[in-house]
This record gives sequence, structure tokens and C-alpha cells, in this order.
Amino acid sequence: MMPTHCFLAFLLSFYLPGVEETRPDPESLKPQRVHFQSRNFHNILHWQPGHACSSNSSIYSVQYKMYGQQQWKNKENCQSIQKFFCDLTNETSDIYEPYYGRVRMTSAGIHSGWSMTKRFTPLWETKLDSPVLNVTRVNGSLLVILHAPYFPYRNPKGKNSLMENYYELVYRVFMINNSLRKEDKVYEGVEKVIEIEAITPHSFYCVAAEIYQPMLDRRSQRSKERCVLIP
Amino acid sequence: MAALQKSAYSYLMGTLAASYFLLMTLWVQEGAAVPVGSHCRLDKSNFQQPYINNRTFMLANEASMADNNTDVRLIGENLYHGVNISERCYLMKQVLNFTLEEVLFPQQDKFQPYMQEVVPFFARLNNMLRQCHSKSDAQQIQRNVQELQDTVRKLGESGEIKVIGELNLLFIYLKDACI
Repeated sequence: MMPTHCFLAFLLSFYLPGVEETRPDPESLKPQRVHFQSRNFHNILHWQPGHACSSNSSIYSVQYKMYGQQQWKNKENCQSIQKFFCDLTNETSDIYEPYYGRVRMTSAGIHSGWSMTKRFTPLWETKLDSPVLNVTRVNGSLLVILHAPYFPYRNPKGKNSLMENYYELVYRVFMINNSLRKEDKVYEGVEKVIEIEAITPHSFYCVAAEIYQPMLDRRSQRSKERCVLIP
Repeated sequence: MAALQKSAYSYLMGTLAASYFLLMTLWVQEGAAVPVGSHCRLDKSNFQQPYINNRTFMLANEASMADNNTDVRLIGENLYHGVNISERCYLMKQVLNFTLEEVLFPQQDKFQPYMQEVVPFFARLNNMLRQCHSKSDAQQIQRNVQELQDTVRKLGESGEIKVIGELNLLFIYLKDACI
């Protein structure tokens, strides 16, 4: 029943502007809250069904473009889909560039208008997950091994090929003394294996890390603390 | 060529090293002898101030929401069309200058409080590039900048909003071209 209802509502609202107060207008068929959610530079387009009719037969199609381009491109895997999200990570692959995405609903062969995101720049919007770390004792030092969140492989044109440099990210490692309630930053840089020297025997060391975006002074959540006892 | 190919590896390496040294010397000397154009540089530290970087992005973000024209972009790859990589900073200086004179100064009351912080930042960069001149014939650069200016003027008020919405791009392009 719903598709027919939608169809009629759409037709009525389209051809009889006078009934707009009682019937959903094409505007309300459009997907709502179309926006990018970006984590670790994975950029996923999300939306919600329009106010008017969200039936099981509603399908969605997604397009995207870089700001300044005239043509919208179809996202291949997100044509006539029933879900409310679409992965545009590969299509929005230059983190410094502004992009747009848009979605429309189709029900019973009738298309809604397009709903567009605001301008989206991955560099500015993305949220970083914390790194995971392993700490081991090697002779008189602590060896900290960081496992960064998975960043999509980008083609850094002309930039340093080291991923962290392209993303302009650094790791920060902290040594935490829980009994003294103090912490020291012991490392900041792009390396993922860090040796901390000058540790004293018979003591307990806790280490945590975060990812830092110096350009915007943003940091990820702190990682879980890893503690080791030095015998 | 054949003689070169047959020559000993060490000889080849020696020649390469000598050429490299010669090139470096020439390059350094040219830099010293031709100061024109050598001022087209900005220190990296200018782009490492997170507070102002954030403000610039916030301002651009806010203005971009008032810009419905997604087809027209002012600061992008086509600005560099036909322009040598070494001339990009000079080009961006021109764009920066235009942005300040014709958009940011006249529109200073808008988009507060960001504007009052971001405008002096770009004005400072503009000042630092005062001595930056083009090394060669700058016709192509003028053409590209002119095109941007024409677009902004043609769009009028919404062109100015577009400029403000692209301040993050201006920031990134200046950073890439001038450091």
C-alpha cells in the first residue's frame, strides 16, 4: 500500500500545489540529514528517509563530486540501494579537497529531489581513533610499538610517501605515573616503534599514546594504558 | 654516448658527482645573484598556528554553507594552468592580495568573530610577500589571476561569499606554494 500512497502523494503535491498543506510535497520526499561521517579518513555518507514516506520499497541513489566540478558522478555501488549509508572513501581521497555528496530517493519509479551535503573537507572533518600499543621490556629500555588505526591508502601526489606525513599526523607517547598522578610526554613523532631509555629497576611503568594533528591541534582519544613492571 | 656507456662505473659516478656539484654551485650562485623572486617564500611556522588555522577553517566552513554554487571554484588546479611550479607562490600572492583588497577588507563586519582574527593573519602573510616578484614573464599568471577576479566580480556579493568560503583553500595553497 505504501508505495502507491507515496506515488499519489507525490503526484498530487506535484500537480496540485493547492493541496500542499495536506499532502507531502516533493521536498519532504527528499532524504534528510545527508552528511558525511569521517573516521580515520574513511568517509561515509549517511542520510535518513524523507518525512513523507519511508516504505520498504524506497531506494536511494548516491552521487558525488569535488567542489568546482560541473558533473556529478554516480557512485557505482550505491545506486538503487535500500540502506542509509554509502562508503565514499575512495571517491573523496584527497584529504585537502572539498567534496559534495547527494542522495535521492526513488519509490514506485518516482524520484525525489536531490539532498546534498554541506561542503566536506576530510582533513577538517575526520575524527581519529586512538592507537593501540604494546609495551615490552628490552634490557634496560621500554619498547613501545604503536598500531595506528587503519588509514586508507591515498596517492599522495608529490608528497612524502610516508602516510603519516601525508596526513600530517604524529604519535604522542606518554609515561604515566599513577601514584604521583603525573605524566610526561616522552615522544612525539611519526615513528611507530619507540625505545624509551633510562628506566629504573624495581619500578612500574605505564604508557599511553594518542594521535595528534598539529595543524589543527586535534588529538585522538587516549589509548588504553599499558603497564610493565621492571624487575 | 657509446664511449660513455663503455666507460668505467667509477668514472661515471665521478662525472655525476662533479656535475651535481657544478649544478649546485650554479644554483646557489644564481640564487645569490638574482634576488628577484627569491622573496617568494613564507616560513613554515606561519602555517603551524593551530588556533588561527582552526579559525580559518571555521570561517570558510560557515561561508561555504552560504555558497550554493558548487560548480564554480576559485582556488583550484586550473589556477596553476600553464604556470611553472616555481612561480606558484607569486601567483598565490596575487590571489591573496586580491582577496584582502577586494573581499576581506570590505566584508570585515561579516562572519564575526572569525573575520577579525583571520583577516589580520592573511594581511600579515600578504605583508611578508611584499617583496615577492615574478622571475619571468608573468603573462600567464596574470591571465589566471584575472580569470579568478572576473569570476568574483561577475558573481558580485555571492562571489565574495565564495572567496571567504575558500579561505581554507587559500591557506592550503599558500602553504603548499610558498614554504
